[in-house]
Amino acid sequence: MIKNKIKLSTLLTLAICLLIVLILPTKMSSYTMRVVNNALIFGIVSYGLSIMLGMGGQISFAGLTFMGGGAFAAANLCSGRWGFWLDPVLAIFVSAVLMAILALVIGMIILKLNGSFFTFATIALVQVTYTFFVNYKPLFGGAGGITNIAQMKIFGIEFGNNYFTWFYFLAIVVAIVAFFVERVRQTELGRSLAFIRDNDTAALTFGINVYRTKVIAFTISGFLGGLGGALYALQMRFVGADMFTYERSTLFIIMTMVGGVNSSIGVLVGSLIITVLPELLRNVPGIDRYLQLSYGLLVIVMMVFMPMGIAGMFNALKKNIKIKVASRKTSKNLNEVKEASK
Amino acid sequence: MKEYILELRGVCKRFGGVVAANQVTFEVPKGEVYGLIGPNGAGKSTLLNLISGIYETDDGTIIFDGKDVTKIPPYTRSRMGIGRTFQTPRFMQRSNIRDNLLVGTDLADQKGYLKSFFTKRNSNFEQELETYMKLAGFSVDLDEDITSLSYGKQKLLEIVRSLLSHPKVMLVDEPAAGLNTKEIEYAMALLNYAAKEKNIGVVLIEHQMDMVMNICKHIVVLSFGEVLARGTPEEIAKNEQVITAYLGGKHV
Repeated sequence: MIKNKIKLSTLLTLAICLLIVLILPTKMSSYTMRVVNNALIFGIVSYGLSIMLGMGGQISFAGLTFMGGGAFAAANLCSGRWGFWLDPVLAIFVSAVLMAILALVIGMIILKLNGSFFTFATIALVQVTYTFFVNYKPLFGGAGGITNIAQMKIFGIEFGNNYFTWFYFLAIVVAIVAFFVERVRQTELGRSLAFIRDNDTAALTFGINVYRTKVIAFTISGFLGGLGGALYALQMRFVGADMFTYERSTLFIIMTMVGGVNSSIGVLVGSLIITVLPELLRNVPGIDRYLQLSYGLLVIVMMVFMPMGIAGMFNALKKNIKIKVASRKTSKNLNEVKEASK
Repeated sequence: MKEYILELRGVCKRFGGVVAANQVTFEVPKGEVYGLIGPNGAGKSTLLNLISGIYETDDGTIIFDGKDVTKIPPYTRSRMGIGRTFQTPRFMQRSNIRDNLLVGTDLADQKGYLKSFFTKRNSNFEQELETYMKLAGFSVDLDEDITSLSYGKQKLLEIVRSLLSHPKVMLVDEPAAGLNTKEIEYAMALLNYAAKEKNIGVVLIEHQMDMVMNICKHIVVLSFGEVLARGTPEEIAKNEQVITAYLGGKHV
């Protein structure tokens, strides 16, 4: 029998996360809280990318497309532009499902392409959707975007502009998403994706329908993108096309790479760093304009020195310690044997 | 009448002008190790790729378990029970040993992604693994990286992974290459176990003649994509044509 033993390190990580969730709001202003909330939302979108890139090895820029789509969908459903207001929670769900369907259709087409050709297709996708967002007024409000989005309400609790309430709500959503991603990683889908990432020919000989599996992963990333986008729209209560430019889409790649493509905690840490860092540097004169440059340099440095991100670095550290402890033990044993033989 | 699990009938494959398989016909019975030998470039690995469906056949039929699988995609063939190992081990390099082996169990369970997401995993995994690892002659820490294992151990573990997937036919591509004598014995133990205990038809490509002569009941010899000879190890060892193909023709 296999017992699902929960590791000490997992418990520790969970405890630390809970502690942060409890302490953080007491130290924050309303503005910084909103920044952290945005980081959590970006984290949700990045989880989608983590499934594609970290598990499946497919570099996709399309996360932003689905985030944008989700944001505009929720904005349309909650701003009365069509003469009705949907319940915000329902609107979030509907937006996410819509984006999942869109991702399924798009994925079925562009996942016929392999490797970098697929990546190029996703870059093109981001450009195409951005053009739509800017120019098609009936759905996306044109350059002015969509305003007047209703406020978030769940179980009778009205969020208003209270970013602390938002924080607790988002923390719960992120926890659910992280749990979901972890579960995917530990079950057949995660293993199949890992097999495709490392050797797709061998994957075929282990019953894995490579194309179908990639489409499923892309659909999940679409769902998470839509979910993040809808939450973003409802928190900001405004959506504009400028939020979904190509530059933005690279941010998600950077977030997942900095944190660690294949680690649920890492993805979240990466999103926090990349979202909060500019806010911290904003007040330092002269630095803000080098932000884009520093992102580029950061990615290069990361790729060279820690390709698996911060989480990967921790894992390597853990392994090193393990090896050192083990070798110390053996040398100790050797010494004892020597002593005894004297 | 013998029961064949895998039959090849007139299988052809061309790569441009090169004929990698020409009218190849042979039958693999259940529960025995079937040798597939021939000089380098004879088309042995190509044949395995044709059987597992990585390449499409140009002509001929492949019959597996009584069904024509010639036009069936590779992932379906493996689900039907065509398992294989590779000349150089193909693992998920960035995953741990557990995940790498569970891929085999996943294939045996055939739960599908949704069911696997919501239900507990097959509890036989560790028991089964214990049996196989005893035969393989070493033990593994499931949480370790796959890359921490030596080449020989990785090759043995590939056979174990395939066994975990409960195949009916196992295509084994040069399991002994790069292994030391002790490890070759373990590889033979694993293959014998697969054939005798699990009733799997094992197709073995190997250059290590001691091993082939030792565990194969029947052998087919390929040369330049064509079947040169078929028979028991004794017959093959005496066959003039086979000796010529391996050692080169006589110049009189």
